[in-house]
Amino acid sequence: MKKTGASPSRKIPGALAAVAGVLLLLPLAGLDAFLLNVLTVGFLMAVYTGSWDIVGGVAGQVSLGHALFFGAATYGCALLTSLAGWPFPLAAAAALLLAAAAGAAAGALSAPLKGPFVALLTLALGEAAHEYFLGQTFFSPEGAYSWGGEGGIPVLLSGPPFSPWTLYYAALAFLVLSLWLMLRITRSEEGLFWTALSGSELSARASGVDIPKHKRRAFVVGSLFAGAAGIGFAACVGRATADDFSLELSFQAATFAAIGGRGTIVGPVLAALVFHSLLQGTGIPSEVRVLFYALVLLLTLRFFPGGVAGTLRERARSRRMVLQGKGRTR
Amino acid sequence: MNGLLLAEGIVKSFGATRVLRGITMEIGRGEVVGLFGPNGSGKTTLANIVSGLLQPDRGRILFEGKDITRMTMDARFRAGISRTFQIPDPYPSLTVVESVRVALLGGQAARRARGEERGGLEEELDSLLVRTGLFAQRFWPAAKLSQGCLRRLEFARAISCRPRMILLDEVFSALSARDEAELVGLMRTLHREEEISFLVISHNPLILEELCDRVVAIEDGRVFWEGKPGDLAKYVPAANHGHESEIHGEG
Amino acid sequence: MPSLAQVLVDGVFTGASYALMAAGLALILGVVKVINLSHGAFFTLGAYVAYLLETRGVENPVAAVSMAAGIAFAFGVFLGKSFINPVRSHPFSVAVGSLGFAILFEQAAQILWGAHPLSVDLGPPWATFNGVLLRRWGVISFLVSLALTGALSLFLSRPAGLPLKLIAEDEEIAGAVGMDVEKIRYLTFGAASAVAAVAGALLAPAVAITPTMGRVPLILSLIVVIASGMEKVWTLFFLAMGLGLLSNVSAYLLAPSWSYLLLLFVVCLLLVLRPSGLAAAEPGRD
Repeated sequence: MKKTGASPSRKIPGALAAVAGVLLLLPLAGLDAFLLNVLTVGFLMAVYTGSWDIVGGVAGQVSLGHALFFGAATYGCALLTSLAGWPFPLAAAAALLLAAAAGAAAGALSAPLKGPFVALLTLALGEAAHEYFLGQTFFSPEGAYSWGGEGGIPVLLSGPPFSPWTLYYAALAFLVLSLWLMLRITRSEEGLFWTALSGSELSARASGVDIPKHKRRAFVVGSLFAGAAGIGFAACVGRATADDFSLELSFQAATFAAIGGRGTIVGPVLAALVFHSLLQGTGIPSEVRVLFYALVLLLTLRFFPGGVAGTLRERARSRRMVLQGKGRTR
Repeated sequence: MNGLLLAEGIVKSFGATRVLRGITMEIGRGEVVGLFGPNGSGKTTLANIVSGLLQPDRGRILFEGKDITRMTMDARFRAGISRTFQIPDPYPSLTVVESVRVALLGGQAARRARGEERGGLEEELDSLLVRTGLFAQRFWPAAKLSQGCLRRLEFARAISCRPRMILLDEVFSALSARDEAELVGLMRTLHREEEISFLVISHNPLILEELCDRVVAIEDGRVFWEGKPGDLAKYVPAANHGHESEIHGEG
Repeated sequence: MPSLAQVLVDGVFTGASYALMAAGLALILGVVKVINLSHGAFFTLGAYVAYLLETRGVENPVAAVSMAAGIAFAFGVFLGKSFINPVRSHPFSVAVGSLGFAILFEQAAQILWGAHPLSVDLGPPWATFNGVLLRRWGVISFLVSLALTGALSLFLSRPAGLPLKLIAEDEEIAGAVGMDVEKIRYLTFGAASAVAAVAGALLAPAVAITPTMGRVPLILSLIVVIASGMEKVWTLFFLAMGLGLLSNVSAYLLAPSWSYLLLLFVVCLLLVLRPSGLAAAEPGRD
C-alpha cells in the first residue's frame, strides 16, 4: 500500500518502539498491582481515544457522544453475562456488534449534517443513553439484587479471574494491535477518503466521493474500536456502570485528541496514555482530574488551534516543502 | 441534434429571490459552449445545478439521454460530468498527489463497472500530474499551491474521471498570462484528443470568443442571447458591462 | 404531590425563564456565529449565586439577579474575548472548547459545593386560586423574563440594535462601516451569558441546584434556537415556554429524568428531520 498515505503522520517514530519496550519491561521491574491496573486501564483508554480520532480527527466528524459506543459494549457484556447467562467470549462478540450497530446508527443519522450539528447530535445521543441507563434498573435472575445506574451491573467472566499481569500484557497487546490496525486503516484508500472529506466536503464531492457512505463507515470503524476497548474495560473492571456513557468520557476522548493532535492517531493515543496514567496513578479524585483536563484542553485549543502535534507537524511540513522546492526553477 | 446534455426549463429560487426563471440549454458531443453573463445573472447557479451541487425547483437535466436531475454531484462525477470551482477549496492536509488520487479512486469503481479500466492507478496518476504540469510539485501540500497551480489541480481532478463533459467555472480569471496560456492549451488538447465537451463559464468575452463554438448569454435568470462567439460583440450592452466588471473586479 | 394545574402554572413560569436563556443563546449564534455549549454553565452559575446569597442571609431576588448578572457578564466577556473570538473559525475548537468550559465549571462546582442537590427556600405563597399557589419566584421570574425579552425585541428593532443585526447579516459590511466587530462580539457574549445567569438565579428556588443542572436548559435552548433563529424574538419566547411546559409536565407525569430524555429526543429529531433547514442557523465559516 505504498504512497497511499492519507494519514498525516506517515512514519511511526522510532520513539514509539522505545515506549513499547519500556511498557513491556515495567511489570518485570516490580510495578505494584495498583499501578499495573492503572496502566492496564490506560491502554484501553488509549485505544478508546484512538477510536475517537478515527471519527473526530481523520474523518473530521466531531463526536461528543463517543462514550455511547464504549458504554454499549460494556453494558452489552454485563447484561449478556449476568442477566442472560451467556459465556463471556460470546457476550463480548455480541457486545462488539452492538457497539458497531450503535456506530452505524449514529453515522447514518449524522451523515447529512455538517460541522457543529454533528457534534450536537452525537452529544444528544450520548446524553440520552447516559440519562436512560442512569435511571434504568435491572434485576438479577434470582431477583435478589437490583442492578444498574451508578452502582452498575457485574460482568461475569467464564472461568477464574485474570491476574493483573495477564490483564496488563493482554491490554498492551490489544493496544499495539489496535494502533497498528487503526494506522493501517487511516493509510488505506478509505482513510484517504476520510481525510479528504474532513478537509473539504465540496472538493470531495466534486471528486466523486460518496460522502454519507464514507462518514457512516468512519463511525462504524470508530465504534468498533471503542467497543473493543469497552469490552476490555468490562473484563478488567468487572462491572458496567452508567458512567460508561457519560459526557465526561466522551469529552475526555476529544480532549486527549486535541492535545495529542487530531487526525494523527498516534498523538491522541499517547496523550491518553500519559494523561490517564499520570493523573490516575497519583490518586487524584475524578472531579479534579476532569477539571484539569478541561483546563489543559482550553489552553491547548487557544494556543494550538490545530492541536499540539498538528501544529508542529504543519511547521515540519512547511520546512520539508522548502527543502523539496529548492531545486525547482521559477 | 445529437445532444450530450440537455438542461430543460430550469427554475431555481433562493427564498423569495428567483435566480433562474426557466433556462433551457443544450450541449452537443464534443462541443464547447460558453456561458456568459454579468455578475448575479445566475450563471454560477446554473453551473451548480448542471453539476449536481444544487437541485432545481423545476425542470430536468438529461445526460446521454438519461434523466440525472436527482443525481448527486459525486454520482455525476462518476457518470462523466466533472467541474472546477471558481474558488478552489483544496484539502488542507493532503499533498497534490494525494488530492488527485482521491478523485482517481472516486471515479475508479464506476469505470471498472463500465469496463473502461486500463492501466494501473500509479501510471495514470503520474500521467495526470505530468499533463497538468503539477509533477514537480506533487509532494507539496495542496493548500500551499499558488493560484495558477490550484487551477491546474482543479483541472487534474476534473479530468481524472475521464469525463464526457467538463464544466469550467471562471477557471481562466485572475491568472498569469503563462498559466492562462498553458491551461487553454491543455483544454484544447483534451477537446481535440478525447472529444470532451466543455461548458465554459466566464464574464470575459475575449476568453469565450477564443475558446467556444457557441455562446449562451444569460441575464436575470433567462437566456438572453445565443449565437456564434464572433457575434458576441453584437450583444453589446451586457458584453461591455461584463467586461468592465471583470477589469474592475480584478483591481 | 402538586396538582397538574400547579405543574402547568409553574411550567409557564419556568418556561419564561428558559426563553430568556434561549434568547441569549440565539444572540450568540447570530452575532458571534458559534454554537455555544457553555451557555448552560452560566445558568448553573446564576442558581449557585442565588443559593450562596441565601446561605449568607440575603433573600432579595433583586440582589441575586443583579449579582448573578454581574459575575456572569465578567466571565462571559473573558470567555468571549480570550477564547471564543480567537478560535471562532475552528468549529472543532468552538464546540469542544465551549463544552470544555462547561465541564470545567461543572467540576469546579462539584468540588466547591458537592454533587448533592442544594435548594433555595421557595418563600411563602403570594396568592392561591383553587389550590394553585402563585409563589414569589414564579411571578418575579415570569415578569422579569417577559420584560427582558420585550427589551431585547425592542432593542433589536431600534437603531441602537442595528450593529448586532448588521453583524449577524454581513460582518464585512459591519467592519467596513467602522464597527469594532470583535468588541461587539465579546460584549454580546458577556451580555448573553449574564442573561443565562439571570434565568438561573430566577429559577433557583424552583429547581434542585446541582453542578449539571444547566444541561437541561442548554438542550432546550438549543432546540429553540435551531428551530427559530435570532430575529424572531417572540417566536423564540413562546417556543421556549412550550418546551418548558412540556418538560415540566413530562417530569410530573413520568419521572424527572424523562423531561431531559424527551428534550434530547426532540433535538435529535429536529436535526435528523431538517438537515437542510439548518442552513440559516449554520455559523459562518472563514
